[in-house]
Amino acid sequence: MIKNGKYFSRGIHIPDKKYLSKDIPIREMETPSVVAISLGQHIGKPAVPTVQVGDRVLQGQLIGKADGFVSANIYASVSGTVLAIEKHRNVNGAMIDHVVIENDFKYEDVVLEPLADREPETIKARIAEAGLVGMGGAGFPTIVKLSPKTPVDTLIINGAECEPYLTCDYRLMLEKTEEVLKGIKLLAKAINVKNILVGIEANKPDAIERFGKDPDITVVVLKKAYPMGSEKHLIYCCTGRKVPLGKLPSDAGIVDLNLATAYATYEAVELNKPLYERFMTVSGEGFNQPMNLKVKIGTRIDDIVNYCGGLKDDAAYLVQGGPMMGPTMISTDIYTTKTTSGLLALTIKDVNVSNPTPCINCGRCASVCPMHLLPMQIDFYTLAGDYEKADSVGGVMNCISCGCCTYVCPAKRSLVQSIALAKGKIMAMRKAQQGGGK
Amino acid sequence: MDTVIINSTPHIRSPRTTKHIMLDVVIALLPACIMGCIYFGWSALLVLALSSISAVATEVVWKLCQKKNFKQILNEFDYTSCITGLLIGMCMSSSVKWYVPILASVFAISIVKMLFGGTGKNIVNPAIVGRIFAFMSFTTIMNDFATELTNGTVVSGATTLTNLLKGTASDLTLGQMFLGINMAGCIGETCKLALVVGGIYLVVRKVIDIRWPVIYIVTTGLISAALYKDIAMFMPSILTGGLFLGAIFMATDYVTSPNNKYACYAYYLCLGILTAILRYATQMEVVSFCILIMNLFVPIFNKFFKPRPFGSKPIKDVIKDFFAKFAKKKEV
Repeated sequence: MIKNGKYFSRGIHIPDKKYLSKDIPIREMETPSVVAISLGQHIGKPAVPTVQVGDRVLQGQLIGKADGFVSANIYASVSGTVLAIEKHRNVNGAMIDHVVIENDFKYEDVVLEPLADREPETIKARIAEAGLVGMGGAGFPTIVKLSPKTPVDTLIINGAECEPYLTCDYRLMLEKTEEVLKGIKLLAKAINVKNILVGIEANKPDAIERFGKDPDITVVVLKKAYPMGSEKHLIYCCTGRKVPLGKLPSDAGIVDLNLATAYATYEAVELNKPLYERFMTVSGEGFNQPMNLKVKIGTRIDDIVNYCGGLKDDAAYLVQGGPMMGPTMISTDIYTTKTTSGLLALTIKDVNVSNPTPCINCGRCASVCPMHLLPMQIDFYTLAGDYEKADSVGGVMNCISCGCCTYVCPAKRSLVQSIALAKGKIMAMRKAQQGGGK
Repeated sequence: MDTVIINSTPHIRSPRTTKHIMLDVVIALLPACIMGCIYFGWSALLVLALSSISAVATEVVWKLCQKKNFKQILNEFDYTSCITGLLIGMCMSSSVKWYVPILASVFAISIVKMLFGGTGKNIVNPAIVGRIFAFMSFTTIMNDFATELTNGTVVSGATTLTNLLKGTASDLTLGQMFLGINMAGCIGETCKLALVVGGIYLVVRKVIDIRWPVIYIVTTGLISAALYKDIAMFMPSILTGGLFLGAIFMATDYVTSPNNKYACYAYYLCLGILTAILRYATQMEVVSFCILIMNLFVPIFNKFFKPRPFGSKPIKDVIKDFFAKFAKKKEV
């Protein structure tokens, strides 16, 4: 079934540049000789290593055990010997424990125990066991999302892929339609809902057509806009419900998951394969050969760059994920994680070199803010050091960091950075207050 | 890729800058300037040139005093002073003495703009203050609109609006008022068609929102008609005086107008009401004074009219809660 979605009336319309890699089929990247798998790939506590240096591990063997409920298991993505467990920089610049494995190219793998039945509790246990996390970028453990505290009646699958350049979800929808649909139905069974919605942006007509043929799910055709993939806005556009401020989607009776997570669910339940590889887009004007790849988790960025034919001369820097929210790479000596949805090489033309000029109060940032905030006022008070005022006037804590305000700003001010600063300071202040109260 | 560039998100930016927007405003002002020069001749061009050149020169001198070199000044130059200068020239009669536009521009740029911190920091519109400064300082010169037009017609001293407000019947048709033919007035204010063309350009280029000038103009017209108890007053009251120039180019100045649409609705509505009432009460052209007064209230509009964050309680529930609380209090 296909129906048209609502629109949240703000946001921005940017050239999506998906043509670079849209028609290139997913290719499996050859396994690198060394992988380094981060133990902190998700939101929550890092996993605890279960292997020692010198151990021989098989592909799909548990190497990191979830530490508590909000955490995720980590599996080896190649077979070989553990060379080291050492601190290494992740894409955000933090030092995280990595398990370094030398590939022996024997490709010996182990799979999980086949499931006896397909009851909700069994599926949930398997999703937790396989180490599934939200694969859109945040990396929130899926099992936490599947255990809502309030009753839910709708499952929304996020196939919007609103960030420019990224096409791996689109290719997944085209190439693995059946598998993704099975995964979606398993997820719906796990939380026991009948109403399944898949939100897809209108710029992917063939994916809409394919998914629309299935009688059990409803495809919601979304208007092409950024940030359509934001949780709150996707929920509004699909169902017309608004998630109350500061609440979770489950408070509106909704569980919302990424499309790649649905595919990983299919693999975990039907193929008994834990999560150790993922799909990613390698694109941008700076790459010689844009590609859609299936990569092992823990692959070095350098290897991916070389596999895709290297960078063009005018490539200036690399970005992980989409160009609106993805961080820049501090070096190519970084390893992919469960949440690496894209690798972009942008050219010097894209770099914002112009210095910020004074705010002219044009109100463009407020007119595009999907959360209806006032970024210019937050920026004003943040730069003056008055974070509490910034929150009371502009509503800092509701910001989803989508970057729309900064995109449109004619004065080229770093509004989203100001908001992030204010957010951090306010969180620290509140924490200190709570600590003092105890 | 030898050097690593750390760039902040988002990595793609819209190509529009403040400079582009301000250049668009300058382009939008040109039709009215050209029509003014056609109606009033070379003297009008001289006034416009004097006012805009002196405005830009004042800004440059200020920046030199701030120990900036010419390259920096050129980089920072964003056409705002040029707009201010042009607007000051446009709201003067072509027969003013040469020093009036210069003094007005110097005053507007140095006192209103640069002393407050330059572009984006001024609390009131510099062009408006420049115009009011000239009116206050050179009352007789500024109110003398008697001049011979390029087509040979000699227009009287009083403007059409003053006549209209005083109840004197005007011999101009609405079409003549719209085109500004045989009409006494300021250089940029007579030809409404040219101002509307400029306004449409700004709307198409998404510099201003079409709602704001329309709300201002229509409100002024309706309230004027109501005050004079004559609906026939609607068209003449909006087509005379500086309402179009004020509504399209001065009131919509970014820096001195509210920053979100809810505040803007209230702001332009109040502006329209104030203009009509003050015109009725003083029988004078008061658009610039009204905009100046309302500019000072912009922070208050910004404070009280704010968008509510996405996912806030529906307005229905807020009202219900309010009444529930009220009812509870009564019971106690």
